[in-house]
Amino acid sequence: MNRTRAAVILVALAAAAALPHVAGPFWMGLVTQMYIFGLLALSADLLLGHAGLFSLCHASFFAVAAYTTAILQVRYGVPTALAAPAGIAAGTALAAVFGASVRTRGVYFILITLALGYVVWGVAHRWSSFTGGDNGVTNVPFPRIGAVGIESHTQYYYLVLAVIVLCAFGYRVLVRSPFGLGLRGIKASESRMRSLGYRTGLHLYAAFVLSGALASLAGVLYVYYNRFVNPVAGSFPVSVEAVLMAIIGGTGTVVGPFLGAAVILGLRNWVSSFFELYAAVMGIVFVATVLWAPNGIMGLAARLRAARAARG
Amino acid sequence: MTEAAIQVGALAKEFGGLRAVDGVTLSVAAGERRALIGPNGAGKTTLFHCITGTLRPSSGTVRLFGREVTRLAESRRTALGMGRTFQISNVFTDLTALENLTLALLGTDRRKWIVHRPIGAFAHLRERALEGLERVGLADRADRAVRELSYGERRQLELALALNSNPRVLLLDEPCAGLAPLERQRISQMIATLPRAITLVMIEHDMDVALGLADRVTVLHRGRVILEGTPAEVQANPEVREVYFGHV
Repeated sequence: MNRTRAAVILVALAAAAALPHVAGPFWMGLVTQMYIFGLLALSADLLLGHAGLFSLCHASFFAVAAYTTAILQVRYGVPTALAAPAGIAAGTALAAVFGASVRTRGVYFILITLALGYVVWGVAHRWSSFTGGDNGVTNVPFPRIGAVGIESHTQYYYLVLAVIVLCAFGYRVLVRSPFGLGLRGIKASESRMRSLGYRTGLHLYAAFVLSGALASLAGVLYVYYNRFVNPVAGSFPVSVEAVLMAIIGGTGTVVGPFLGAAVILGLRNWVSSFFELYAAVMGIVFVATVLWAPNGIMGLAARLRAARAARG
Repeated sequence: MTEAAIQVGALAKEFGGLRAVDGVTLSVAAGERRALIGPNGAGKTTLFHCITGTLRPSSGTVRLFGREVTRLAESRRTALGMGRTFQISNVFTDLTALENLTLALLGTDRRKWIVHRPIGAFAHLRERALEGLERVGLADRADRAVRELSYGERRQLELALALNSNPRVLLLDEPCAGLAPLERQRISQMIATLPRAITLVMIEHDMDVALGLADRVTVLHRGRVILEGTPAEVQANPEVREVYFGHV
């Protein structure tokens, strides 16, 4: 079984590495987006899939990181070596503030993160002297550190792929660490965790900030891919989609959020080419997932494996 | 005189107009085994919640080994040696039995904050978790999800969780609730063989279990202590017979 899994991972990595050689720029761009938004979905799923918190403000960290990097790089000519870490730091700092929302649970947590997300979107939208308003910040260059720089979309594709793979392995260690087990314990029974000596609020807060840092990293990857950022990056639909990607792919897994990102971005591109109401189609896909595959694609796959094993 | 493990002073807890606990004062010596009995609604569980920190008392004090803990968070009291079980099994049903025990062991251990090493890398922790399961007879269930365990096995796990958070004082809220006679015997056997270094306070409805295990018994009724004494004294007391067994 473990050998099968290793084989699947190797094949997937080989396919990902080969993609720029066999696919055109359109597909390469779509897959790059899938990696970036998959990373955003993964960050939201650290809270949803492991700690049981449904966050609706992850686009905020994503956007603040993207804006910070873009503004520093474009307006102030700050080099990538500083602008990119500054973006991650800014998004993470915002998460450290928004993290106060872990004092609430359930629907209150959802509503508070929703409201906070709108605040950030509103600032990006209305404070146009600083953020550029609806036009946002444009002409973001490719990242360059010293003499080494990205020159093409293909090179950037590989950079994003490398970051995603590193993040996926790091994330896997994180969710299997004592800290990660603690999160799952809180999801299962917070009262018991408290009586066992866990400071559950602090535990969740730490998870929230870590999750925000990961979303910020996705935001920085996004701004260098997209070459511009506008308030859409911090909007409500982006936050919702991040969570939907995780749910469709399978929450509590590492691969699921990326699969979910592939489904949502792929469907959106395909459906919107011939049908205006693509959002309605996405809604139907989501309802179908909840009804027939509540554990997402990864859950379906596990069920198929179990069925095959049972048949002999 | 030995130091008191738990001292409760004039403790009261109100819910709206209801005084669930109405001025309870009691002291449990270190190493003692105390049973807390009383009819339904006597305030036993509420008193427990106030001692462990799940609830804040409306007034009064709680001391743990002489240290005032009335306003201390539950997790801090656990760090100071307080452990508890729940009346309704409160275990991690989505996790395996082994993961349950691991969480119990890590609760009072700073390694719970480690993010960069998988839990599998802590071989010693796994061994101790397996030992903990063995102690309550669940070693063969280690890798099973707890939701697949029977009710009785969950009660055993409930006890194992509390024991492995390394308590000096253990509060057991009806450890035998809902169990068949044979399982009941098994759990009370487990409790009886606990080291004397652990102070026990136990709510128990089963008089045989309670009186068999306890050194002393406190009887609660309508939020007040109506009697405290040895099991024999309590059994012989007519007032207790009245409130506990109703009019005969």
